[in-house]
Amino acid sequence: MKNIFLHPKRYLAVKLIIAIGVLMIIGSFIFWYATLQKQEKDIMSIAVKYGGSFVDFVKESTRYSMLTFHRTSIQQTLENISVAEGIESVRIFNHAGKISYSTYKRDIGSYVNKTSISCKGCHLDTTKTFELLQKPKKWNIYKLTEGEATILELVEPIYNESACYTSECHVHPKEQKILGFVEADLSLELLDKALFRQGLALTAYVFIFTAAAAVSLGIILYKLVSKPISELANGMERAAGGDLDYSVPIKSMDEMGILARTFNSMIKDLKAARDQRELWTQTLEAEVAKKTEEIQKTHEGMVQTEKLASLGRMAAGVAHEINSPLTGIVTFAHLMKKRVPDDGPDAEDLNVIIEQAERCAKIIKNLLTFARATPSEKGELNINDVLSRTIFMIKNQEKFHNIKFNINMEETPFITLGDASQFQQIFLNMLINAADAMNERGTITIATRKIIMDDKPFVEIEFTDTGCGIPEEILGKLFEPFFTTKPVGKGTGLGLSVSHGIVKHYGGNIDVKSTAGTETSFFVRLPLIEQKI
Amino acid sequence: MKKILVIDDEPIVRISCERSLANMGYEIKSASSGKEGIELLEKEPFNLVLLDLKMPDMDGIEVLKKIREKWQETKVIMITGYSTVETAVKTLKLGAFSYIEKPFTPDTLLEAVKEVFDLPG
Repeated sequence: MKNIFLHPKRYLAVKLIIAIGVLMIIGSFIFWYATLQKQEKDIMSIAVKYGGSFVDFVKESTRYSMLTFHRTSIQQTLENISVAEGIESVRIFNHAGKISYSTYKRDIGSYVNKTSISCKGCHLDTTKTFELLQKPKKWNIYKLTEGEATILELVEPIYNESACYTSECHVHPKEQKILGFVEADLSLELLDKALFRQGLALTAYVFIFTAAAAVSLGIILYKLVSKPISELANGMERAAGGDLDYSVPIKSMDEMGILARTFNSMIKDLKAARDQRELWTQTLEAEVAKKTEEIQKTHEGMVQTEKLASLGRMAAGVAHEINSPLTGIVTFAHLMKKRVPDDGPDAEDLNVIIEQAERCAKIIKNLLTFARATPSEKGELNINDVLSRTIFMIKNQEKFHNIKFNINMEETPFITLGDASQFQQIFLNMLINAADAMNERGTITIATRKIIMDDKPFVEIEFTDTGCGIPEEILGKLFEPFFTTKPVGKGTGLGLSVSHGIVKHYGGNIDVKSTAGTETSFFVRLPLIEQKI
Repeated sequence: MKKILVIDDEPIVRISCERSLANMGYEIKSASSGKEGIELLEKEPFNLVLLDLKMPDMDGIEVLKKIREKWQETKVIMITGYSTVETAVKTLKLGAFSYIEKPFTPDTLLEAVKEVFDLPG
């Protein structure tokens, strides 16, 4: 509301009020002016009527004196009449304009003003006495000086009649039509005053009405137009600023109400669209993140596989080359050992040579296994069977004597494509790692189950030990070749790497979950062949 | 005296075999390639061939096939650097008597050889 006064040009209501106000003022002025004019005209016509009666009265009052030609009596009568209030002067003059009687004695004998209504009432041109006006004007209103009262001037001819030309004096011949004129000047001061007062009152009325109308119109316009529009504008500004929770609080049933409701529903639609879009954006982001992660994983896997493959090729070559010299070392060490005393220091030294050569042989064997990622015997096999055989194989070994097995395999056969000996090698490796992690004491949980990964069926083989757990910082290195936590000579760091290579080759994966100090779970996942029933 | 032929491209393996079996009452000859081995076999009969599986010119499998074809009386022990079940099974199917893995000790070799000759008949 305050702003309306500060910036009137910004408000529609102000403009409307100004336009309507101007129209009202013009209308009121026309009304005011027309009323005043009408009143003045009416009052004037009444004044003329009364004035006419007065002139007739003068005529009648002097009639007898005229007929008897008593000049002093006529003069006396006029003087008496002029005493009355409002009568400025009364004059009687002949057709030539010579004043015979007047309330002002000094005027007697002089001529009336030939441009005044006395002559001009009938004669257009006073020099041409026979050109008469069609409608003679018998009265005129004038002001002697500005600011003084208005004067009503009335002229009435005195027509010749039989009494006049038959009276004793015979002043006028019978042919003369007009004997003279009675002319009266009446003051309209009282009427002026009344008119002025009425004008004042009317002006006041008009002003009060205009003001009241302007104020009430302003309020109505403000309430019906300005306020709803500013609320709508506010709503639009907020919507443009992004606030789509706002709704315009207009409840009326008129066009403004319809506009507000339309606007509100539009904002609601807009909000729904924006929410939808945001949702899409979020899902898209999540989708992109997921795909990126997948790509990264695939890439990592590929790098890992490639690393393993090239390492495998190299290992195969190296292993083949080294086995022959190792044969020489082992053979000659043994031959020498046979020639030296069994309990001598030389025999001990030779044992070291043999041991270390055999260690080399073991490393090479692992490398070869690792290199042999390409399967030679590929066929359908039941994972449960392979797993059962492996468990049966190790159960009687000394390493597993103090370990409790918790076996929980689903009964349905899990048929996969692969090499049984390779899978056996993987499972064996998992079990040995588990035993090592718990210092050969504890529980190993073995379980198989069907899972769905990327809409495809997989068998998940779980190996959980109650061992020392794996620190988080080395989790990422587990599957790297030659990475081992076992003491030197105990592990080659190839077991998990080889297992990983094999599982990857068959389209599976190995996952690890570990709680430091409590347990570690390895999950080997292999794709299942769709069972044809 | 039993005659043994060692076929291996690696001199150290040949020497190792010769030295391991020396003074055990065998006559040992050696060849550095499959081709040379076959030539020797054509000249004189051998009771046993110690045959390397992997050689540059003619690999062990081929030599084995040839021996089984021409000299049925001659026994073959495969020497393998690849101790895979598959290759072992393959060679045994083709008629090899047994196989030993590199690196082997003199005792392992001797035992394998003895096993061949201890066979009745």
